[in-house]
Amino acid sequence: MAISTTETNALRPLNRVLLGAALILLLFHFVVYIVYAANLVAFPFDYDQGEGFELVDTIMFSRGEWPYRDTNIYPFYSSNYPPLLHVLAAPFVWVFGPAYWYGRLLGFLGTLLTAAAISYAVYRDGQHKLIALLSGLAFLASNTIYHIGPLFRQHMTMVLFETLAVVFLAHANEIADKSKRRRTLLLGLGLVIAAGYTKQLAYATASAVGVFLLLRQPRRALVWGAGAAAVGVGIFLWINIATSGQWWLQTISANINDYIPDQIFGLFRLWFGLHGFLIVPALLYAAYELYFSRLSLYTLWFVVATANSVTAGKWGAGDSYFATAIAAMCILSGLFAARCLRGEWRFPATYLTRAAAALFGRFLRGDLWKRALSGAALIVIPLLYIGYGRATLHMPTDGFFFGALAQVLQITPNADNGFYDSAGRIAGGYADIGHLTTEADIAAGWHIVDLLRAVDGPVLSEEAAFNLWAGHDVVTNPTQLLNLANNGLFDDRALVAMIENQEFDLIVLRAQFYPVPVLVAIDTHYARSETVRMNGFEYMILRPR
Amino acid sequence: MLSHDFTLRKKHLGWLLLVGGVLACIAILSIDVLDVGREGGIGPAQQIALAVSALGALIGLTLIPLGDDPA
Repeated sequence: MAISTTETNALRPLNRVLLGAALILLLFHFVVYIVYAANLVAFPFDYDQGEGFELVDTIMFSRGEWPYRDTNIYPFYSSNYPPLLHVLAAPFVWVFGPAYWYGRLLGFLGTLLTAAAISYAVYRDGQHKLIALLSGLAFLASNTIYHIGPLFRQHMTMVLFETLAVVFLAHANEIADKSKRRRTLLLGLGLVIAAGYTKQLAYATASAVGVFLLLRQPRRALVWGAGAAAVGVGIFLWINIATSGQWWLQTISANINDYIPDQIFGLFRLWFGLHGFLIVPALLYAAYELYFSRLSLYTLWFVVATANSVTAGKWGAGDSYFATAIAAMCILSGLFAARCLRGEWRFPATYLTRAAAALFGRFLRGDLWKRALSGAALIVIPLLYIGYGRATLHMPTDGFFFGALAQVLQITPNADNGFYDSAGRIAGGYADIGHLTTEADIAAGWHIVDLLRAVDGPVLSEEAAFNLWAGHDVVTNPTQLLNLANNGLFDDRALVAMIENQEFDLIVLRAQFYPVPVLVAIDTHYARSETVRMNGFEYMILRPR
Repeated sequence: MLSHDFTLRKKHLGWLLLVGGVLACIAILSIDVLDVGREGGIGPAQQIALAVSALGALIGLTLIPLGDDPA
């Protein structure tokens, strides 16, 4: 017995209540995200390992210097990321001097803009305002986006440019006005190039865009693709020549890292565990387009970005590599939800529909199935967003409001520093962050800076902020040295000699991401004098033995 | 193919996926044939790549009957 139109109408109040509950849940996630971002913006030290080196790159660009340098000579520093985020942040250095807050603010605002673009895309094609809003909020509610959104890192700015490019280009082929279509293609492909020069990983989105244009009109794809490639390669060659080949060495050669199969299996399981409520609808929508409609850029983007997430298994990579797939998932699942609620599925006659008719003939006759589907959608669609909101739950468990709420919800911290994360922190490569920083963390950071201010000679630190605030040179970018060393591209003799000669007055270690010979030299010639706990991590202060 | 009106059809996409998937399967299996000194047989990464390639070929096969519908 299927649902009649009257019964479907009777379900609408329940639908509104459930959609309201989903909206409240995702708005709660949004509030937690704002609190987290505000907390990080006010924190003057590294929150995520390596943020300080993004700031150093930005300072270099603000002085008109390239950060792609020879790491075999003092100060053994180089960046391994493309320049666009640092270039965008450079004017802030001119106005405010070196600081973390503007990089984090740019990252945070970028995620809001990405969420808005997702909502716009869903509304444009799905014509359902609330689902469009839920889709944008779902993006911000993801544990992965929450973690890295307000950091001074490139990743989310890359996702912003990728999302804007895809939203611009999704209907470019249908624009009848030639000059408007050209402007759209120019802007969309320009955004793809911008994404690539924010972080290398954007090649996946560039591939999806290329395949999409090729499917729709090969001639246009070849002409515009050749133009975009020429611009991209031209910029690449210019930077490589300007840096005497360091650009290629530091951003390409050094980025070939070991692959850890267990890490990628764990991260994929986690990705599905957290986002499965929206991944399944996204996959169903992709299958619908594949067999009953035309493949949209959103579907191709989702497939390519998800496939490219296997690169999260590299050493040094992590759950952030799923961010692009999450953005695409939010758009596709939103389109699925909107179409379900509006009852707009169309199944043209093909061998598949004929086979379905042969199997389920009685049910598929007339409008019976459509009414049943519409009735079920009124309940199931909001439940998907509620399920997603619960699956991605993360919040502080301390403080006046969150502490009380955690007690009501019977949530206990399962991560460092009074924080609950539904991910459970079980997969390698999953970011061990998300908690709020405290006044004690800030005081601990300034204590380390005071230790650096008390010495005159150079200081080797795994965190750039201490050197910057104490007025010392920033010496080395540890993970980049490790990347280079792992590929046989780092000559450690000069740095090891400085350590053996005890030329550094202080050494500050956190994750100990230096190449092994450097760590051995440190251990041999320096001894720990103090350990400072900041932001959940142990900072070891070492002095010459 | 390079005319202003040409667009790929479901059957084109189907053939591309089928041929690409089959060639990828052959290439993945050939790793063990060419690199005869290698031990351990087909590893986990190879198995996944093989499964994805086979799935691509299968999807391609199911798209071919959809004929001239635009891809």
